[in-house]
Amino acid sequence: MSALYRLTGVTKKYGPNTVLDDVSFEIGKSEVVGLLGDNGAGKSTLVKIMSGVVQANEGEFHWDDAPIERMNRDVTERLGVETIFQDSALVPFMTITRNIFMGREITNRLGFMKMKQMDAITADVLDSVVTIEGIKSPKQLVASLSGGQAQAVAIARAVHFKRSLLILDEPTSALAVRATEALLNYLTHLKSEGVSSVLVTHNLHHAYQVCDRHIVMNHGRKILDVRREDTTVEELTAAVVEGAEGIRRYREGRF
Amino acid sequence: MTDRRSTGADAPIIEAPLATEAITTQRRMSDARQSTNFGGRLKHELQFIRGRGALEITIVFVVLLVGYVIASLVSPTSFAFLNPNNLSGVISQAVPVLAILGLAAGILMIAGEFDLSLGANITLSAIVFIKTAEGVGLWAAIAAGVLCGVLVALVNGAIVVYTRIPSFIATLGMSFFWMGAGIFINGTTPATLTTSRDETMVFLFAQDFGFFRSQIVWLIVIGVLAWFFVHRHRLGNHLFAVGGNPAAAEAISINPKRVKLMSFAIFGGLVGFASILIAVRTSSMQPGGSATEDFTLFAIAAAVVGGTSLLGGRGTVLGIIIGAALIELIRNGLLLAKAPGFYITLFVGVTIVIAAIFNKLMEGKAR
Ligand SMILES: Nc1ncnc2c1ncn2[C@@H]1O[C@H](COP(=O)(O)OP(=O)(O)O)[C@@H](O)[C@H]1O
Ligand SMILES: [Mg+2]
Repeated sequence: MSALYRLTGVTKKYGPNTVLDDVSFEIGKSEVVGLLGDNGAGKSTLVKIMSGVVQANEGEFHWDDAPIERMNRDVTERLGVETIFQDSALVPFMTITRNIFMGREITNRLGFMKMKQMDAITADVLDSVVTIEGIKSPKQLVASLSGGQAQAVAIARAVHFKRSLLILDEPTSALAVRATEALLNYLTHLKSEGVSSVLVTHNLHHAYQVCDRHIVMNHGRKILDVRREDTTVEELTAAVVEGAEGIRRYREGRF
Repeated sequence: MTDRRSTGADAPIIEAPLATEAITTQRRMSDARQSTNFGGRLKHELQFIRGRGALEITIVFVVLLVGYVIASLVSPTSFAFLNPNNLSGVISQAVPVLAILGLAAGILMIAGEFDLSLGANITLSAIVFIKTAEGVGLWAAIAAGVLCGVLVALVNGAIVVYTRIPSFIATLGMSFFWMGAGIFINGTTPATLTTSRDETMVFLFAQDFGFFRSQIVWLIVIGVLAWFFVHRHRLGNHLFAVGGNPAAAEAISINPKRVKLMSFAIFGGLVGFASILIAVRTSSMQPGGSATEDFTLFAIAAAVVGGTSLLGGRGTVLGIIIGAALIELIRNGLLLAKAPGFYITLFVGVTIVIAAIFNKLMEGKAR
């Protein structure tokens, strides 16, 4: 089966710093991929490049085996890549509804928004996707939400507009335990509907629970790319904490 | 972080997530929200009062208006607020101009930008309107005046958007350029409406209907259109998105440059139109003059008094119109009470600084 999304030789420099160094991997159809690594490993940068908001210095991108000539957000939007960024996913002084429909407003032919319809859908989405406690109305400003609630809204938006690939950068970091469980279940559910996802997280238990494959980043390099059945939580831990050295030690220790 | 890394092999890392940037920033946000000390609570309260929009300013406006009406009924001679000459001659000419300029500045501020060449734009657009009216005719002049406003603002906007020079600096600099352009096309003598200031022109832009004038009708029309655009149209929604969080807007594939250019164009169109109202009212315009310069800050003040954020992302059409009306009401009150005219300038200056302090207080929240 051909890959949904393939990245080859992605390199990104910020000034003299090489943040991503020759990174290649692919995301299969209906696959949940865990993107792991310590702080500063380059995960968020990779996510931004995959979603087209940041341009790589080098690298090739294939979608369904067709090359993407010029990567940018318009292209990934058309392909159906939906991303929740770790920072800055929402506009604080807009309502929940306006945030969820930002850039995808339901309008009449003249471009005027159908507020009632959008509010109703928002209320539904907030109820069904991730249970979010304490949100009173879709008309509430995002600025009035807690960190976890806001993150849940961002997730609700992403899954509502799901199309082919959902990328979540540290989605569970501010979520309550129940909401986290719901989100992880939802990723599995999306998979059964043919939607792939990339889960960036520090919590290896979360990743191990739902991901079919794990990619571990270390100082801008990919050091591990394994299917779930070929690894253990211990190996992933060693890779994240100690890098390539940790993987070697783990494997030596095991055999 | 480093000590965690070295002890991580004992596997605390799989028990609980490490303290990522996300967790720490989120915690900081919710800490501020639940803060129990006075400063934190005050800050929190202020943030929410401002979030509600134009309510407070409407109350202030209504209270002041009622006060004026009572004062005018009690002593019609010493405080002639309700005198038709005052209502029609002063209020209904001054409020619409400032309100339209306030909407212009406010829409741009919602998108996160400023245009400090507003005054120079008025001068140039008014001169273009006058010269075209005298040379060609009224309808061509209206189109030329508005178009001039749009072009001036679009040039400014293009400089700001493509060079990423802060709009303060870029548009302040361009303001001198546009002032010079006015002198270039008209010399140093005033441009004057003479034969072209006919019945039609006056009817359209300055007709006296007893206690109100044509300008009020224009304000209502423009206000309604602006409200539907800003608060109900998808492009209006994009203004708030781009001004409130450009990165989030871009991530969802809204193009901030395009949205900002659009807001500069709208700004220019409104300024061009206001310059026509000003030209018809005064019948002449002095190139390079300072007569229009006050409008720059007054327009920003109207927007700010009406609840528009100096940081972008917040503002309401109704608030801005009431903000403009409030400023003109205070100016009129000072005039009627025979207080020196510069008091209003003091008021506007202090208002902007207070608003800036307000915004500073809220910065932690919005970013
Ligand atoms: N816009 C930027 N400019 C300069 N350096 C950056 C920028 N974004 C990220 N970096 C650097 O790139 C490295 C990787 O960051 P990031 O992708 O956020 O890592 P992660 O998400 O894995 O914690 C860090 O050293 C960070 O300082
Ligand atoms: Mg990150």
